[in-house]
Amino acid sequence: MESSQDAVAGAGTGEHAVEDRRARLRRFWKSDFVRSAPYWGIPLLLMGLAVYGGIIWNILISLTDYQGFLERPDYGNLDLEMYRQALSDSAVHLTARNTFVLLVAFTSVSLVLGLFLAVLLDRDIREKSKVQTIYLLPMALSFVVTAQFWLWMYNYNDGLVNTVIGLFGLGPYNWIGNPSLVLGAVIFALIWQFSGYTMVVFLAGLQSISNDQFEAARVDGASIFKTYWRVIIPQLKSSSVSAAVVLMIFALKIFTFLYAMFGTYRPPKGTDVLATLMVREAFQLQKWAYSASIATILLAMSLLVIAPYLYYQYREGAL
Amino acid sequence: MASVTLDNVTKAYGDEIAVEDMNLEIRDGEFLTLVGPSGCGKSTTMETIAGLTQPTEGSVYIGGRDVTDLPPKDRGIAMVFQNIALFPHMDVYDNISFGLRLRKYDQEEIEKRVDRAAEIVQLGGMMDRMPEEMSGGQRQRVAIARAIVRQPDVFLMDEPLANLDAELRIHMRTQLQRLHRELDTTIIYVTHDQAQAMTMSDRVAVIDNGHLQQVDPPLTCYNAPDNLFVASFIGSPAMNFFHGAVTDDGFGSEFMNLGFDPEEIGATPGKDATLGIRPEDVYLKRDREEATVPSETIKAHVDVLEPMGDEVFTYLLLEEDVETSAEGRGEGQLLLSLDPQTDIEEGQKVEVVFDRHEAHLFDSASEEAIAHSLA
Repeated sequence: MESSQDAVAGAGTGEHAVEDRRARLRRFWKSDFVRSAPYWGIPLLLMGLAVYGGIIWNILISLTDYQGFLERPDYGNLDLEMYRQALSDSAVHLTARNTFVLLVAFTSVSLVLGLFLAVLLDRDIREKSKVQTIYLLPMALSFVVTAQFWLWMYNYNDGLVNTVIGLFGLGPYNWIGNPSLVLGAVIFALIWQFSGYTMVVFLAGLQSISNDQFEAARVDGASIFKTYWRVIIPQLKSSSVSAAVVLMIFALKIFTFLYAMFGTYRPPKGTDVLATLMVREAFQLQKWAYSASIATILLAMSLLVIAPYLYYQYREGAL
Repeated sequence: MASVTLDNVTKAYGDEIAVEDMNLEIRDGEFLTLVGPSGCGKSTTMETIAGLTQPTEGSVYIGGRDVTDLPPKDRGIAMVFQNIALFPHMDVYDNISFGLRLRKYDQEEIEKRVDRAAEIVQLGGMMDRMPEEMSGGQRQRVAIARAIVRQPDVFLMDEPLANLDAELRIHMRTQLQRLHRELDTTIIYVTHDQAQAMTMSDRVAVIDNGHLQQVDPPLTCYNAPDNLFVASFIGSPAMNFFHGAVTDDGFGSEFMNLGFDPEEIGATPGKDATLGIRPEDVYLKRDREEATVPSETIKAHVDVLEPMGDEVFTYLLLEEDVETSAEGRGEGQLLLSLDPQTDIEEGQKVEVVFDRHEAHLFDSASEEAIAHSLA
């Protein structure tokens, strides 16, 4: 508003116009937009190219028939042939089913276990006010360490798991070799690693609830169990949503864990998931276009997972 | 309705003693306020009555029944919290009826009681609102309704108005008094605000440092404070104090002397003593006939004027070179309240008197009151 008035006023003589342009240029260089550019511009460029550029390129490749190293992809002839193939491929069906089981079982058990641990710890903190970070330590381990460590735990002959259940006269079970057990074994290892994280998220939520909520419930006659069940846990909605999203994302990028555990692109059949199938199709068989279409399916699943979260955030006015 | 008795109650948190040897009788149907500065032990006292904390020693009786070992829900109490503590995920109806639903009252009875409570606190038509959609005052009324539906013998209110803005607080003050009249229940009220204590209570229990200082009707605490703490805590602005000693023929201090017969009021000459005079008992010399028994003239000059609308707080220095301290009113300063029409200016020299009939004398060592009139 002010600058346009300046422009009108300065239009009288040429000298004024030049000076006015200089002043505007100076204002532009000094503006918050330009001066803050290095801070948001560089991340934006990196994100844009590496993430979103990569996604777009991947989708483009999935529409071609590109495979092998001999020729360049033919972008002239795009169709959905790869998706048609993928949707009728029994390997895709099996891995999609495994991915889904892993996603649901891992996420829900981690949430419940994390909530349970958080409530226990919350009692302790409210009464004695000390925090135990020990539960968070598994989260600090890398996937590779957890995988190796649980591989030993599950060892058929002298793993700790078989030794312990052997004391009760059970087993030994071939946790890794048996296709019907291996998925459960993997899920259990993941739960071990992640329920500490869920617990911390819930604990933060619990700690933000003030003591007089507990006192009010207590004066009203609620037992400790009823207080948590009817008053406190319903207030943890946003903690649950954000913890669930993080867990589901990790469930979808399970490739690292499986690769670290089995040292090959082909994990035992019972635990083969979309991510490993995708890597196998790409880097073992060089079927680039086909694996790109699997990647897109995986991306769509991730988006499906995040969509409710985004909707929730939007409805709460946080977006 | 029930009386409440604290019998030698002591509460310690580790080495920290919050309340020591408290004996307090709250009568049936009484509105009693526990008042004192932050950390004085008034909230701990209330939590002990509520059963939210166990006394280290001593017993609590409600309606003649020893409830020391009973949980809060079996004590016949209901509580209103400072932070209101409504359950944010429940609507008004669910909040109010929560306690009744837990106790498995039948639906009809619950609805009847909730309707009645909502009517008392004027919440009709808001039953399906969520707490976040309500104003502070409305939420506070929901919290009170939540306490009413339980039909408790004793209401406990822990600073229920502290988080409201000033205007609403004054409005809720009168509301609470009407509520007390209507319900005719024992109410125990905790506040650090002596104005709330003065205006609402039948009796005030002044607490400092975990010890009960005085339990009396508000005006008794104001006119005849038992000790220096009560004298300085009750009344706003606070009393003027002069630290000196009892002499053979009265009271002597650096800035203020007063003649009387020590024997007559039971004071011992030579003992350190403190003279206390309320700001409204000091008059300009020309208004001296307003004092029941005017003192001798005191020369001073005006330091600061604080016009409040209905009165002007006038800070006097009794000598030119008196040092003023940021800590509060010190020796050699005198506060009086004047009519706003008074033509007086900062820096002006004035002569004032005070009403000897309203002067208080305290023993400086024990802090106990010696006399409430030095006429």
